[in-house]
Amino acid sequence: MWPRFLERWKGIALTLIGVVATLWLAFSGQLGLYIHPRYFLFTTIMAVIGGALAIVAMLLLPASGADEADHEHEHEGESEADASQRRRRPRGRRRALAGAWATVAILVGAGIALLALPPATLSAATAVQRDVERTTSDLANESPLLVGTDPSEFTFRDWALVVRQGGAAAELTTTDVSLVGFVMPAPDDPDDTFVLARFTITCCAVDAQPIGVPVHLPDWRERFSPDDWVDATGRFGADPAGGEGLVLLPTSLEVTDQPSEPYVY
Amino acid sequence: MPRGHARSEASASRTTYAGVSMSHTHHAPPTGAPGPARGLAGRRAVGAGIAAAILAGLIAVRVTTSQGEFDLPDATQDFVTLSASVLIESLPFVFLGIGLSIAVRLWLPEDFLVRRLPRHPGIRRAVVSLLGVLLPVCECGNVPLARGLIVRGLSVGEAMTFLLAAPILNPVTIITTYQAFGWDDGILAARIAGGFVIANLVGWVFSRHPQPMSLLTPKFQAACAHEHAEGGRKSRRAAKMFAEETAAMLPALVVGSAIAGLIQVAVSRDLLVTLGQNPVLSVFALMVLAFVVSICSNVDAFFALALGSTFMPGAIVAFLVFGPMIDIKMLALLRTTFTTRTLVQLTAIVALASAALGLAVNVVA
Repeated sequence: MWPRFLERWKGIALTLIGVVATLWLAFSGQLGLYIHPRYFLFTTIMAVIGGALAIVAMLLLPASGADEADHEHEHEGESEADASQRRRRPRGRRRALAGAWATVAILVGAGIALLALPPATLSAATAVQRDVERTTSDLANESPLLVGTDPSEFTFRDWALVVRQGGAAAELTTTDVSLVGFVMPAPDDPDDTFVLARFTITCCAVDAQPIGVPVHLPDWRERFSPDDWVDATGRFGADPAGGEGLVLLPTSLEVTDQPSEPYVY
Repeated sequence: MPRGHARSEASASRTTYAGVSMSHTHHAPPTGAPGPARGLAGRRAVGAGIAAAILAGLIAVRVTTSQGEFDLPDATQDFVTLSASVLIESLPFVFLGIGLSIAVRLWLPEDFLVRRLPRHPGIRRAVVSLLGVLLPVCECGNVPLARGLIVRGLSVGEAMTFLLAAPILNPVTIITTYQAFGWDDGILAARIAGGFVIANLVGWVFSRHPQPMSLLTPKFQAACAHEHAEGGRKSRRAAKMFAEETAAMLPALVVGSAIAGLIQVAVSRDLLVTLGQNPVLSVFALMVLAFVVSICSNVDAFFALALGSTFMPGAIVAFLVFGPMIDIKMLALLRTTFTTRTLVQLTAIVALASAALGLAVNVVA
């Protein structure tokens, strides 16, 4: 009996899980952990509508008595083939049972992922896996040249890109910079450089691309661990370790809280 | 209907019903009301109570766990975050699609469209493949619609054209594809054009079949009779459609999101890049993936976006064209209407055409 009950209510149950999760994220200001801000309004409105539809459907759906009447009606028109199919009961029932357990797994999984676990940003481990070097230089190549524009207005993203766009223009190395990002190990994992990174997203967290600037700090692991959020102040300059390109030479580095909008756009 | 009857009795009685405060939508009859009316209103009150309890429970879980410190391993945590982001991004579009599809099925008479179609077979199929613009239903909702259309005089080939084209050539799919990819690499254009051409090709092939009715399962007529007989009040039917559509789509969406998240964290970047940058292998890899994940066409662009940075555009196009037409879930649904033999032929044609399209895009890109 319960597989049929589940079959009937699983869509509404999943709707309610998704709606509660979405609306709670919206009201606690954390929707930005998952999707781009341009979807906030649309997502919130549709979640309210979806939730309202689900509740109304719960109240209006024919209850079990009416359901059985429906069912008899279905069999009225069934052909010989169907009837013989139904006679092979045990196999059909076993399959229905397996499907029902799969549904239970989906419901529990969705509940845990969306409701039980606290919301979180992507970790530095994913930034490493996604190859910050490559994604930053890809973006830098696609974006308009920033060299020559006024660096005092630069955002985190602008700094990350301008450093890759090459050219050690004087104004880049004479401007005081203050950047907030999370700590991730640099690609070859040197002891004297880490990457100060942020994720940039175009749609939702699944397309997040890490971008970052290299920061020169000998033995950085003694002060920070990956995923720490750090407020770095300093100027860009040639890499004292002899690497190519500009690195941030910090005058101060302080651990800070994760910003309310951890991604950059 | 017994409800009006029940209401007059309710007003005559002075007893109050314990469940009234929970249900704002209906006048609950007194406990003394006889017959089915009492059962119905009583059940509604109980239903409202259960709905409120479930909602309160879900909210309570969310609020109490939100401050919790779970130190999951990075990979597990990111798997959850990535999967949740696909789900949260897609969900509003799924609701939009379901809402539109319910509205169309309730208020647009089905012969309204069929009567106005042009007579020339080729032009007729071309117009049929654009019906998705007016019937923005995702592939899961299409099969019942197509069955209805066959009954109202559409040929089998035309119904197939509709089935294959509508999930791609509909406003919700086009908007989400645009949101995900913009005009990059011609992905959106190739998806629209490819969907149109392949659907019409399949329609043409099957229209040449000497006995088109033999393509359908014997069970189909019975299923149609059932579809016809569906009656009852519109709000009731809408509630049933909402429950059915969400039951068909959301489990597939949850599984699809989980697979998208899993691929991101579990499959090594090197393998993905190697596979994704190969102009031939990338196309077939994503076609297999589309077949397996069975994600709804309304939101599959967000899923493909996760792969966008590592896979060549032709592979993405093949994914976005093949997936809405043929996948595990769709074959299961189609099996209610078409014979297995027909479905094998259909799958072969669509797969070959999608692969050709994907490879062609890769050559151009």
